[in-house]
Amino acid sequence: MFTTLFFFLFAGMAIGCAVSVIYQRNPLYSAISLVGVFLSLACLYVTLAAPFIAAVQVIVYAGAIMVLVVFVIMLLNVEEEEHRITKVKYLLPTAILLGILLLAQIGYIITQVKSDKNIKLAESPVGVTESIGTGLFTKYLLPFEITSLLLLMAIVGAMSLARRSATLTPTTRIIPGTQVLPKYLVDPKAKYDTTAVESETTEEVEKVLGIKGKPEE
Amino acid sequence: MNELKAMFEAGPQLPWYLALSAILFTIGVAGVVIKRNVISMFMCIELMLNAVNLTFVAFSSYFRDVNGQLFVFIVMTVAAAEAAVGLGIIIAIFRNRESLDVDEANILKL
Repeated sequence: MFTTLFFFLFAGMAIGCAVSVIYQRNPLYSAISLVGVFLSLACLYVTLAAPFIAAVQVIVYAGAIMVLVVFVIMLLNVEEEEHRITKVKYLLPTAILLGILLLAQIGYIITQVKSDKNIKLAESPVGVTESIGTGLFTKYLLPFEITSLLLLMAIVGAMSLARRSATLTPTTRIIPGTQVLPKYLVDPKAKYDTTAVESETTEEVEKVLGIKGKPEE
Repeated sequence: MNELKAMFEAGPQLPWYLALSAILFTIGVAGVVIKRNVISMFMCIELMLNAVNLTFVAFSSYFRDVNGQLFVFIVMTVAAAEAAVGLGIIIAIFRNRESLDVDEANILKL
């Protein structure tokens, strides 16, 4: 009886936090709601007698992925979304209608689809760490090794994506007196010379940008 | 009424978990369509992945098969790798366009 109560409690928490993820306009609040979804899903995994997956869910999803997402949100200083005017007027009634249809289908599934016996979820050796470890290192050894290779690829890819380039990009701002440029941008004769030169005057900046006069503040 | 009581006494059944997973997946899809911010869309994709994980674990528990939970382990690993690369892409997009709005990123050129 208690397991049913716990199921409804954690399911309600999961659905509430999920709706909050898409409802909030500030992405930081969305991230915190998503952590709530992950934690309630971990509790649901415990009610399903899968303690290893529950622990891995908290460690990997709530503890690593969401921390990374919050880092990026804070790094990029993301602002709230502005309220935009919906140009199509009949979207909201259609959405409500389809939502009611979905809920009706789910209600049908819950009440009509019956197994021949109500399965009582007893303690089984399926979800414990030992059985998962045994499967992972005997039958699924190749996917395990390929997954480690995939993680290596992800590390290399993320590093090469987020690296700053050494040349000027169209949105680089040059502030006279503080910018450090490679030499070939300052002295046209020194091609491919990437020794760093501190650009001190506005003449050099004019030469780099190809414009006359002071750059606009 | 007696049938309802019997259903409650036996514990949560498999279709309930599947229904919850369907609801979470639909909320994730709605978020990907509605949201304008790239990071919010990414978080809704993670919500969809978690809904699928719940389906796998529910089937694995009710059919006493460990393969479902092993697959969930692999899916979580792939999701972590995808999170790292996806956030790197988001940082690169922000560095070039100064904005995280996907509606404004509608031409390939900067």
